[in-house]
Amino acid sequence: MIPAFAHIGDGSPRRPRSHRSLARRTAETIRQAVAEVLENDEISAAPGLMQRLDPRIKLISIVLFAVTASFIQSVWVLLACVVATAGLAAASGIGVGSFSRKVWASAGFFGLMLSLPATTAWISPGPALVPLGPLSITSTGLLVAARLTTRVAAGAGFGMLVVWTTRWTDILQALTAMHLPDVIVATLAMTQQQIMSLLRTVENMHLARESRMLSAGTAADNRSWVTERIAFTAKKSIKTADDVYDAMLARGFSGAMPSLVRLHAVTRDWVWLAASVTASVVLLGIDRVLMPR
Amino acid sequence: MTVQFALTGVRHEYRPGVYALDGVDLTIEAGEHIALVGANGSGKSTLLKMLDGLVFPSAGTCMAFGHELTEDALENPELRRDFRSRVGFVFQDADVQLFCATSFDELAFGPLQLGLAEDEVRRRVAEVAGQLRIEGLLDRPPYTLSGGEKKRVAIASVLTMQPQVLLMDEPTNALDPRSQVWLLDVLEEWRAAGRTVVIATHDLSAAEETCQRMVVLSEQHRICADGTPSQVLAMRDLLLEVNLIHEHAHRHRGSAHQHPHGHGHLHPQE
Repeated sequence: MIPAFAHIGDGSPRRPRSHRSLARRTAETIRQAVAEVLENDEISAAPGLMQRLDPRIKLISIVLFAVTASFIQSVWVLLACVVATAGLAAASGIGVGSFSRKVWASAGFFGLMLSLPATTAWISPGPALVPLGPLSITSTGLLVAARLTTRVAAGAGFGMLVVWTTRWTDILQALTAMHLPDVIVATLAMTQQQIMSLLRTVENMHLARESRMLSAGTAADNRSWVTERIAFTAKKSIKTADDVYDAMLARGFSGAMPSLVRLHAVTRDWVWLAASVTASVVLLGIDRVLMPR
Repeated sequence: MTVQFALTGVRHEYRPGVYALDGVDLTIEAGEHIALVGANGSGKSTLLKMLDGLVFPSAGTCMAFGHELTEDALENPELRRDFRSRVGFVFQDADVQLFCATSFDELAFGPLQLGLAEDEVRRRVAEVAGQLRIEGLLDRPPYTLSGGEKKRVAIASVLTMQPQVLLMDEPTNALDPRSQVWLLDVLEEWRAAGRTVVIATHDLSAAEETCQRMVVLSEQHRICADGTPSQVLAMRDLLLEVNLIHEHAHRHRGSAHQHPHGHGHLHPQE
């Protein structure tokens, strides 16, 4: 017998929920993460400046830019690097607004947080701009914080350019071609598959809970549930890893991961690499010679 | 007929006193299509894994192609290569079987592990992709595929190794009706080619349709029946006992009555 309250269509208006539950928010966050991965796949498959480059050359040039940025002292030159990443993003069909938001929301924010202590007189003695005793904000400290934050943002921008404009499979192939150990490339390949699989599992767990809940639950209940699910997911991931290894063994895995990928760099790639080296030297020259210390 | 597998008194313990298989005797000859049927937890998957050299007997012996399958024996590179080239295993969960960056890499993985030449690997990938109509999926990462597409790629990834024996764990699980029909067609082609197929399932209908021999595992992890599908499906009391069919009263065609039901088991009046 189905209880009366469970019948559909009793005519009573549905009460709107005042706020979204933890389960709903978590499921949506996971869905967004999955959507972003799929969006990245679309961007990397679209035509654009960076997408046309050989993945190996692209990796080398981006690492070169990131290393160059780490040697640059001038905030203005570092800002120029940040602007350059946005320009490259635009030339690769990535929205500058969305690119900059992601760079500054992640790397910029964390860079700022990490460098905050360096703004104080305690860490960076100098003329106080905001006098607060040993925690006074100094001009020297602000310069240090600005340098660190822009450097992190420039490095992250270059990194994001690689991730957004290169298919994950091409990155793995480039790493293979650059003689990274097989086991590392194989682990990276499996990691993404399993992360996607686990994300879907976690999303379904949250939705299954949501479908059986009548209220959002207390914060303590939610924390407790999330902790239990983290433990469950960790155990499941270990079991999955065992199963994946069995599946590899079943298809003859013996420790090596041979590949059929044969990458070919063309003139465009070598021109890009030469331009990257020149740009790095010019940036370092401007920083060392032209910019005031 | 050539005996490919011979299991004698096989027992497999997960931990002391907890058995997945207990005293299993089984012989599999070349070209046979066998369904291992049993309720969940009866040991079907463990038995398949044992036939694929992924788990090993705690007691008894498991012979494959004249060699005893042990962990040590499979450490021998030549024996391992020979065995892996002969036996393919399609896992129940396609997600665990798809670990490469693209579907193409999945199909190429096995042949590359066998040390085949690049041209031969590409030829096999193209051939199997064409047979299974998955050419359009080859560039895609497996996590972007639907459940049915994943299953196709998982099966293709084994077929490129051209094994003599195909082991499949719950092959019709999570497949939509069209994909199930497609899979039955694939198995029929394998039957015509004279290759051995062993499937583990609790879907009696699929087992009856695809196999000439049915082996029943009890909830005590022992083989309790072994015969043709019609012989086994006639053992109503046994199937009830091993939890493969159930009996309940219901209304059908205007009259209330009681008879056994199972996964895909046809109504007696039809």
